[in-house]
Amino acid sequence: MTVPQPSPEEMRERAEIDRSARYPVLFFFTSAAAWLFVATVFGFLSSLKLQVPGLFENNPYLAYGRIFPVHLNALVYGWAMQAGIGVMLWLMARLTRQPIRQGTTIIVIGHVWNAAVSFAVLSIWAGFGRSIPLLDFPSWIWPLLALTYALSVVWILPMFKSRKGSSVYVSELYLIGAAVWFPWIFLTANILINKGTAPVMGAGIDAWYITNLIYFWMAPIALAVAYFIIPQVAARPIYSYPLAVASFWLLAILAGWTGFSRYMGGPFPAWMPGVSSAATIFILLAVVATVANLLLTLKGCSKIWEYSPSLRFTVFGMLMLALYAVLAALSSTYFFGANLQFSHFLVGLDTLAIYGFFSMTIFGAIYFIVPRITGSEWPSGAKIRTHFWFSTYGIVTMITAMLVGGIAQGGNIAAWDQAFSTSFVTSSAYMTGRCLAWAMISYSNFAFLYQLALMFIGKGRKSEGPTLLYPTAESGVTAKTAAGVH
Amino acid sequence: MNSNPFWKLLGGLALAFLIPWSLLVVKPFLTFSSLKSTPYEEDDKMEGVTNFPDMSMMRHGSSDFGMQVYASEGCAYCHTQVVRPTYAGPDMWRIGWGGREEGGFARETLPYDYMMETYAPLGYQRIGQDLSNVGHRITTRELMHRHLLDPKSIDPDSGMPSYRYLYSKSPYGEGYIPGPKADALVDYLLSLKKDQKVPQSMAKSQ
Repeated sequence: MTVPQPSPEEMRERAEIDRSARYPVLFFFTSAAAWLFVATVFGFLSSLKLQVPGLFENNPYLAYGRIFPVHLNALVYGWAMQAGIGVMLWLMARLTRQPIRQGTTIIVIGHVWNAAVSFAVLSIWAGFGRSIPLLDFPSWIWPLLALTYALSVVWILPMFKSRKGSSVYVSELYLIGAAVWFPWIFLTANILINKGTAPVMGAGIDAWYITNLIYFWMAPIALAVAYFIIPQVAARPIYSYPLAVASFWLLAILAGWTGFSRYMGGPFPAWMPGVSSAATIFILLAVVATVANLLLTLKGCSKIWEYSPSLRFTVFGMLMLALYAVLAALSSTYFFGANLQFSHFLVGLDTLAIYGFFSMTIFGAIYFIVPRITGSEWPSGAKIRTHFWFSTYGIVTMITAMLVGGIAQGGNIAAWDQAFSTSFVTSSAYMTGRCLAWAMISYSNFAFLYQLALMFIGKGRKSEGPTLLYPTAESGVTAKTAAGVH
Repeated sequence: MNSNPFWKLLGGLALAFLIPWSLLVVKPFLTFSSLKSTPYEEDDKMEGVTNFPDMSMMRHGSSDFGMQVYASEGCAYCHTQVVRPTYAGPDMWRIGWGGREEGGFARETLPYDYMMETYAPLGYQRIGQDLSNVGHRITTRELMHRHLLDPKSIDPDSGMPSYRYLYSKSPYGEGYIPGPKADALVDYLLSLKKDQKVPQSMAKSQ
């Protein structure tokens, strides 16, 4: 099985698309990476505060209740959303074979987005937060965020409409889905929560917003990337295309029902958390089918995964997606949920979704896209290895610490005849693991930010051959295959 | 798919989302928005209170500001305000969590309990104690201030940091004077009691 070689005309077309994407997409990636580094530092500090609560206790700007939401919001709106928007723009342009025409507008909008996120993060830090997870910022900021999102993403709709070529690829379905669903979720959550007439539903809608952000925005973009990069680098078609489309629609039908199981036993009618946990369990079908489909596509080319940075990050992200879906399904049942609800386990799960699965896949996309749009190669394969391995160590440590620590903590809270503080004492040992994990992730992202900044200022490696994880590619894997150049 | 699948795709995506959106989010939101305070009936035998929930507890003045301090200092990231029924967890068995201690009275939290808020701070994690009924457990301002100022003096194993930055040093030697935020926060915390008796007519219909 081989993919058809692109004609010289198609090569010119791709070069034109990459040129048009250069400034807007690179702007989003670089500012996202800067936000990611900030977010990981705050993640480390907030974990440290859980282990040594008395540290800096006279300083309101280092109180856990402020730096943890700063970390979450910077991670999601600063890093994840910006990187996601950048990937959406480039991928849609490449798949529909249309250059990005509104480059300058998008860069201006990108600056407004960064300003809005800065306002949001700084006002939480300064003590104007609202303790509404992921919607903590003061209510005047959300229309700005909604508007700038719409203005930076709306361009992919006309691209799709006037696409060249007849067949629609599954990645395009995912991208259009993410583009359309997110504003709907974001507007619903903000309008209903700020209306304030149904206080309990406000909290429920916030939980719904978080899982919908994961399943209706992060998952579609990450899957669009995986469905593009894996066949591209492996140079073969997807194992089963009908299965890919079917699992897309399965996810589309189910994801909107998730979320309320975060508050099972809460002041809601019992059917609402019930329906959410059922949906979370059924989503396993879609996720397992998707991940299996992608891994089967790679069957027999495990060599490439050793050399290609984008493939390695993407495949790791997909494995983490499967892990996330399984753990989320388990913890949404009453059997496990009774003890795990409100424990560190669920925070670990959110981190697994945002960092382990979404971010790792997006790193794969960034390692693929940036050399193409800048026309230069990544400066150092060793730094890419640092990024991959320290991120991997970090996320594995995180999951282990939060999973075991969460079980210990939840078990102690459920032991109703013991003092409550035993739950803090038992879990604080595991918070060392969380500190360590964020320190490693922070370090790995420093390496990433450093390389991306070099690419941004045009100091990339000028070379014919792409940068690989290891300098020499052997046994049938040529440098070009590993980087997905065909 | 046909040659221009754009509108067909958008329709499908919208439909997939419209169903859960309307049934799981919008309709319950409207139902919960129309909750009303209802009077107790004769056979409920309540003294002093006429309605469930008692809307005279409506957040106003200092306790409303205290609610904002609770939110802006991120208290809800460590403290929940939700007591689960026994099928979902043993919250009610922990003494003082489910309500007054006298007579072993305890119940799970209901939507009515949050009607005096604009956003119910159900919470993100339970690193600290559940605060649904903290007003029953800590009954004096002095004790509540001590909890905020020096939690370890009450429980040496406590993981709560001191909120000394809400207080200023006393000019009369030792001790601290609560700032406006600390006072408001204490007002709010003392008002947290989510165990008002449910009228029999409602209890039956549940």
